[in-house]
Amino acid sequence: MENSTKSGLKVLLVDDEDRFRNALSRQLSVRGFRVFEAECGEKAIEMTIAERPDVVILDQEMPGMNGTEAFDELKKIDPFIEIIMLTGHATVEIALYIMKKGAFDYIMKPLNIDELLYKIEDAYTRRLLNVKKTNTGSGRGLV
Amino acid sequence: MGRIGNWFRKKTSGGGENRDIEVEYLRLNFKARYHSFKLLISANNKSLENMADIERALQGHDVFGMGFIKSRVTAISVSVFSMITHLKTITGGKYPGLEPAFFKIEQVIAEILNPKKPAADPRLVIAFKDVEPGMAYLVGEKMDHAAEVKNSLGLTVPEGFAITSTAYELFMKENRLQSEIERVIQSAGPDSQGPFDILSSRIRTLIMDARIPEPLEQAVRAAWQNLENAKGGSVRLAMRSSAMGEDSSENSFAGQYRSELNVSIDGVFDAYREVVASKYSVKAISYKLNRGVRDEDIAMCVGCMVMVDAVAGGVVYTRNPVDAADTSVYINAALGLPKSVVDGQDTCDLFVVSRAVDYEVIPARIFGDDPLDFVMVSQKEPAMTIRSDIREKKFKVACLDTEGVRREEVPQDMQTEPALSEDKIRELFELAVMIENHYGCPQDIEWALDRDGRLFILQCRPLKQMPIKDMAGNAPLDDAPPPLVQDGLTASPGAGCGEVFQVMKRADILQFPKGAVLVVEQALPAWASLINRASAVVTEQGSFAGHLANVAREFHVPALFAVKDAMKLLTPGETVTVDADGSSVYAGRIESLLRNKPRERNPMEGSPVFETLESVSRHIVPLHLLNPDSPEFAPESCTTYHDITRFIHEKSVGEMFQFGKEHDFQERSSKQLYFHVPMKWWILNLDDGFKEEVQGKYVKIEQIDSIPMLAFWKGFTAKPWDGPPPLDGKGFAAVMFQSTVQPALNTGMPSKYADRNYFMLSRNYCSLNSRLGYHFSTMEALVGDNAAENYVSFQFKGGAADFERKMKRVYFIGELLERYGFRVDIRQDNLTARLEGHDRESMVKRLQVLGYLTLHTRQLDMIMTNASRVIYYRDKMIKDIDALIAGATVH
Repeated sequence: MENSTKSGLKVLLVDDEDRFRNALSRQLSVRGFRVFEAECGEKAIEMTIAERPDVVILDQEMPGMNGTEAFDELKKIDPFIEIIMLTGHATVEIALYIMKKGAFDYIMKPLNIDELLYKIEDAYTRRLLNVKKTNTGSGRGLV
Repeated sequence: MGRIGNWFRKKTSGGGENRDIEVEYLRLNFKARYHSFKLLISANNKSLENMADIERALQGHDVFGMGFIKSRVTAISVSVFSMITHLKTITGGKYPGLEPAFFKIEQVIAEILNPKKPAADPRLVIAFKDVEPGMAYLVGEKMDHAAEVKNSLGLTVPEGFAITSTAYELFMKENRLQSEIERVIQSAGPDSQGPFDILSSRIRTLIMDARIPEPLEQAVRAAWQNLENAKGGSVRLAMRSSAMGEDSSENSFAGQYRSELNVSIDGVFDAYREVVASKYSVKAISYKLNRGVRDEDIAMCVGCMVMVDAVAGGVVYTRNPVDAADTSVYINAALGLPKSVVDGQDTCDLFVVSRAVDYEVIPARIFGDDPLDFVMVSQKEPAMTIRSDIREKKFKVACLDTEGVRREEVPQDMQTEPALSEDKIRELFELAVMIENHYGCPQDIEWALDRDGRLFILQCRPLKQMPIKDMAGNAPLDDAPPPLVQDGLTASPGAGCGEVFQVMKRADILQFPKGAVLVVEQALPAWASLINRASAVVTEQGSFAGHLANVAREFHVPALFAVKDAMKLLTPGETVTVDADGSSVYAGRIESLLRNKPRERNPMEGSPVFETLESVSRHIVPLHLLNPDSPEFAPESCTTYHDITRFIHEKSVGEMFQFGKEHDFQERSSKQLYFHVPMKWWILNLDDGFKEEVQGKYVKIEQIDSIPMLAFWKGFTAKPWDGPPPLDGKGFAAVMFQSTVQPALNTGMPSKYADRNYFMLSRNYCSLNSRLGYHFSTMEALVGDNAAENYVSFQFKGGAADFERKMKRVYFIGELLERYGFRVDIRQDNLTARLEGHDRESMVKRLQVLGYLTLHTRQLDMIMTNASRVIYYRDKMIKDIDALIAGATVH
């Protein structure tokens, strides 16, 4: 694991369940992430524009704009943003739909917090690599 | 970061250092590939862990629900799809056949998980008189039977209507309840007893807060009005659950769902919500889980019957449920409403009626040859009451004037009066036999007697009788101590032993230890959720006609009911043996009683949930792609998810090795291991697997900094190999024969099969593809400080000897690996072993074991048919390995 990638890593948590979001936010903060919270898809868009998070933990089921709809909007704002979808109601169809769109992963509640931490770091690494590849790859394809 | 920064500066300053730019560019690309490779390996690991979960579930030791299946299948699908994406990144899209293969499998699985439902009937409410035979899909089994008894047999069943499955689906859909409920269930975590009450109360709140759709409200009000018009006055209704699958012969769901009695029009919609919510009561969740019933298969229909203000009521069993040889009819009767019988709350009267018997003419020729020996019997025995247990009935359940019911005291002088007269017993007996004859199988019938002396049939369902083999009598007691208790009725046969655990309130349920003897005052349906964890049940009140007794019989748990003072006589914590057949409880464990205990069976086997997992697993778990050198090893041949993961894993490892060579990239090209001399081992440093930058074509073991690789190497080099075991003549001939048939096995020939061993490593990761002698093995390990992420996997195949010897060696290795804690799976001559979740020190030891075995099982196949040599080698290896992992020096 590349622990150095963690410093300054910005995570946006999007979930309508306040207790779940607050608890997760605390756990991520104590591990050194900069955490932002949004309780709905609309707020997630605002926060993404304002704070430019690296990784988003996005709940699938929310009133109003759901996770899948918010996903498209967030990717429009920042194509390199990495999104980990979260669901309390696993369905293969939705999972594959969102993976095809380029979600970093699709994970199910209840969460294993350690597993999530590794995933956030891996997602961040992928973001850095994608940004670098795009910056250095002008006029060249990848090897 | 620093290096990348330098490269940016160089590039922008236009220094023209093309080689540096090229190298930096390759570094970045390698890093991106390595990152994808790492994610691919992690997804592979995750999918294998989930597959192992599925295999464990199919072994039938634990119960699981559809939530388990859906979450595992989703996790595996996501992992496999991720692997395809990562392989695409690594190879630049070299294997386009993988996605079609994946989606083909996914399609089949989706059809198993979401079977198409038949087109729905649009009616939300149906009057009983309009229910036709075979409408159970619309009104539920219970109301389908009630309507059939009314419409086809013409028996007296209260008027009413059913709120249909279409109505239920509308109610769930308009309130988006199904997905919300599944979300709550999944979030509650593993399927265990603990969180059921929180889960149940959260779901209940969702349902009780849900809105009744307007068309449903209108339909119910109109149906109610029709009943009142017909009666010429106001009515009260009994609202009974009539769920799909309830009251079927496989699953009785006895008492799992709720009935609301004496409901007024003001309370009808709350009562509807209550009945629907009872689908998720603690006992119903537990029952469904243990019986493997799929939640989505159960639409909750509700039967609404005009309330019978009964003076007596109860349950008739048309046969003895615990004795298939007994043809008598059993009538349980309470004062007031039948509720106290089915709830097992109070004691009730029992009348046993023998059937009318016709003896037929029996020609004696059947027995002998003498034509004169002709016996003719023409005798008719009338039905008669052969037993009347009139019990003290202190309480009864009665309707309140306004709405609802209450348990009230029976006046002293009435308490010991029979609940039924001889005439009514006879009438009820005849109705019961008529219903049994109609359905052609034993029936469990709920009845009520109103103030005008009319008998009503409220519901009927198939009665499950214990198969005779399950009722095998126990051996007579030889020198057993005198029983602690000798009393009670056999509610479910058999004998069970465990510690006494008294349950007095719901909170006690959570503390109930598996295997204990459940001792309670009343045989309430609420205790049903404990049945599958109890070794036996003893109650003070209740009859074998109650719901709890039904559930005990379904789960084959011995139960002894109506044991006076059981709570006083059986001390908590004391080990007792309950002999339900002999109506006795003994102190301690009485082996002679337990000897003939029916074999414990997995109640889920054959259930819809179990079968769903079995069907799904056939497209996930089996591995067909065993040989990477075969032309069949291709995306098009992948028919399971496991095939896909195997293919991807193999190809990804190859691609990572190719990178350095293909791009003439020295620092990410493999290096030859230098261990005293140059070895036939090549090493690729993926990331931080070397202590320092290594120049040239060799790397020394001291320069390596990979925890798993060094552990493996320690085992590999702990003890020098003695060379091939001395061959017996047959073994040698076997190898020679195979070598001539398969020239590639001959190491002397220039062949791609010659010894070659590739390590890929980083500090915490290592993979090895090895061909030593005639066998081929792969090993992969992740070892770090996070025990949850740690794993070792090992695969072994091949050998030069014939199939029998190869198999024997595979089993030999498998046995040794199991001894050291690996989970081993053997298919043909292909062995896979896995171990995960242990701490670093423990993983390091296991890797040493693998290193040792990789070297020392070489060519052992040659001696595998010689039993004494096999024992010699096994003992020697165990001794060496024990010394090795104990940290001692091996000599």
